[in-house]
Amino acid sequence: MLHTTATDPPRFLAAGLRTAALRTAAPLAAAATVALVIAGCAAPRIDPAALTPAEAASGAAAAASGQPVAGTSARPQDATVKATPDPAPRATAIAPRPAIPVRPATPVPSQPRDPAPRFLTVAGTTINMPIVEVGVSPNGAMEIPEPFEEAGWYRFGPAPGAAAGTAVVAAHVDTTSESAPFSQLKSLAPGTLVTVQRAGAPPVKFRVSRVELMAKDAFHGASVFRRDGPPLLKLVTCGGRWLDEQQNYGDNVIVTAVPA
Amino acid sequence: MRTSLFAAGAVAIAAALTLAGPAQAAEPDAQLSVLHGVPDLTVDVWVNGERTLDDFAPGTLAGPLALPAGAYELAITAADAADASAPVIGPVKVNLASGGNYTAAANLDAAGKPTANFFTNDVTQIGPGKGKLTVRHAAAAPPVDVLAGGSPVISGLANSKEKTLTLDPATLSAAVAAAGTTAPVIGPADVAVAEGTHTIVYAWGSLADKNLKLAVQKIEGLHSAPAGVPGGRSGAADTRSEVASNPAAIVGLGAAALLLLAGGIAVTRRQPAARRIR
Repeated sequence: MLHTTATDPPRFLAAGLRTAALRTAAPLAAAATVALVIAGCAAPRIDPAALTPAEAASGAAAAASGQPVAGTSARPQDATVKATPDPAPRATAIAPRPAIPVRPATPVPSQPRDPAPRFLTVAGTTINMPIVEVGVSPNGAMEIPEPFEEAGWYRFGPAPGAAAGTAVVAAHVDTTSESAPFSQLKSLAPGTLVTVQRAGAPPVKFRVSRVELMAKDAFHGASVFRRDGPPLLKLVTCGGRWLDEQQNYGDNVIVTAVPA
Repeated sequence: MRTSLFAAGAVAIAAALTLAGPAQAAEPDAQLSVLHGVPDLTVDVWVNGERTLDDFAPGTLAGPLALPAGAYELAITAADAADASAPVIGPVKVNLASGGNYTAAANLDAAGKPTANFFTNDVTQIGPGKGKLTVRHAAAAPPVDVLAGGSPVISGLANSKEKTLTLDPATLSAAVAAAGTTAPVIGPADVAVAEGTHTIVYAWGSLADKNLKLAVQKIEGLHSAPAGVPGGRSGAADTRSEVASNPAAIVGLGAAALLLLAGGIAVTRRQPAARRIR
């Protein structure tokens, strides 16, 4: 199930070339069948039936990732201590404090998770595929399901339909020889309906609000995998030019959809 | 002379601004939690002489309190003491750094005497897909091993010491045994290690009094994002191959080249990390 990819050394192509190329080429060639490059950045084609879904997320307890802790970026240090603390402001700092939360420190079972997504449909495309739960590859990248007709949901982040944060669903853009369903992401028009069926819960619907390219060598994970902020769905795949020497595409195609 | 005085004044003002600036800028508060790990003793907790926690019971965790960085004096008295002048534990002086995260624990030392331990909690970001587990020995007991699923994962942990592991998220069946043994003196109990969360487990109580227990503190929101989304396999969806594979596209190649040129100029001006295409 694990999928390794080439790392992304810097490259010097003008970003705009790829953007324009996308605009021009997309409508012209929906179903390209000629592969200029045969060698994949992953395994050869695998019988999907032989694969298990991404490892069960049973005890993963992704629910616990709540609000960010104040000052998480700062490393605690023993320095920066005032030699003589001034009691007056200190007292005012403590006195008006609202009730301090106190709870039994007994081990608590993990909180129930939001319903997991199970199936993805994008109107007007052939994207009509099951969603499996995925995590992180040994190289630190998001896991992508091997079968091209399956999408992976990043199970450590919010689920589609969660009250806050960005749900991320990704899939391969190609097989060893052809384009995969997610190659249609780059052509989605704003307003396109995206439906996500869920386990034991009603489906949630989204509308495409934007489609963008993010250079892989400038991948900004914190802006894609947000656990706070407004509820969003991001569909992600590869795109742009295939960089032969890196055995990788130059960009990620990122579709952002808002609750419909 | 006047010039140099002016210059000196300017330097002094600049220096004052430099010193005053950071001090007045909003430095993040420190976060202080308090754990009560002394069996059979209800207490009040005092911070700088102010009663901060009233009737604080064993096995409870308070906080986190957001406190400006600085030095503080913590004292623990019998419940409903008139003031902090006759503490049963402390007073202890602690230094809280801006943005730091701390737990002050009232607990028994190895010999069974009430004492205080001041722990600094690691709130650095955790790698994507991982969780952190820290075990702290705060019990009247000799050194212990911590077992997960029956196998030791931490060995020889002594009173007031701690050990941190970075793990795949899972619910562990955790137990505590005397060092070098596997017969649990605490547990086994389910301890959830969640992704992006630092779970801190305290062993507290007294082995002699047979009231050893686990206390759990969680610090959430320490997650980080995956390093990338590798969705490509062969290049079959490359924009060039799509153009080349479609005979009709050849006709448009000249126009495409012009567009490429124009696009290149337009985008080099913007230079965003992500380029909107729709």
